[in-house]
Amino acid sequence: MPAPVEGVVNERAIVIAAQHGSHDAFAALVRIHQRRAYAVARAIVLSHEDAEDAVQEGFLHAHRALDRFRPDQPFGAWLNRIMANAALDLVRRRKVRDADELPESIPMPFRDPAESGELRERLHDALTHLSDRQRAVIVMHDVEGFTHGEIGRTLGIPEGTARSDLHHARAALRRLLQDIRSIP
Amino acid sequence: MTHDRWTSGDAELTNALRALYAAPAEESYWDALEARILQHVATGEVRSGWWDELADMIRPGLIAAAALILAASLAMARSEQLEARNAYASLIAPSPTSVEASTRGSIGDGDAAIHLLLSR
Repeated sequence: MPAPVEGVVNERAIVIAAQHGSHDAFAALVRIHQRRAYAVARAIVLSHEDAEDAVQEGFLHAHRALDRFRPDQPFGAWLNRIMANAALDLVRRRKVRDADELPESIPMPFRDPAESGELRERLHDALTHLSDRQRAVIVMHDVEGFTHGEIGRTLGIPEGTARSDLHHARAALRRLLQDIRSIP
Repeated sequence: MTHDRWTSGDAELTNALRALYAAPAEESYWDALEARILQHVATGEVRSGWWDELADMIRPGLIAAAALILAASLAMARSEQLEARNAYASLIAPSPTSVEASTRGSIGDGDAAIHLLLSR
């Protein structure tokens, strides 16, 4: 397994090659970063399908903005920010669209029937009561393991705001789910 | 990962969150997503290239149209100025026709007959 520094150097070379128009280099960047990109997008949108759409749109934006990226900066953080913006755009567009459509046309979240339990159902409903940003913060922190600083940089908010959003999101979830929680 | 102010009783909730947000695990899924991303990028760039070319053609056209509108406005303003100047000039310098008409107007039918008799 290559050392982290070697990995960074390699990635920088890949980014530079992609900036020079190498399709293979860009494909390599997609391969390296798509899981993290999906995680960022999934934390912000409400469904698996929307996360996929946001990831595709995010990589398109990244490809168009690649010339403006400075290779001495961390590519992953730059890409995460683009993914977050693409996901937030999608959430905004969905809200406008859903306001004009019938309730049955609202996209249902991706669910594995085998995993559907009461807590899961209630948790999904409870998450819709959080603000988009609070939901993104709690998922990025508790599910994906982002630090407060990483969340702040990705969502474009101060670290303290990420901390505060996390606190309020947890409090809201505790309140919304208290009747089915096994521990008071 | 830190869980400040997240009690151990919340582990159940965290696990439920992780289950709800779990990314697909199959490698084939990621291969397919990668292919779709690259396809989307390729399609998006082609569409963008076509639009950019059209935008490149539209921009000079819009500039030319704006220049034409400006020139037409200037010509119209100039024409209105000339019309106003002519109207003013015609007021302060009455034409011979109007002098004759005013003279003719001041001589009545009786005066015309006297003029005729005296002239003989």
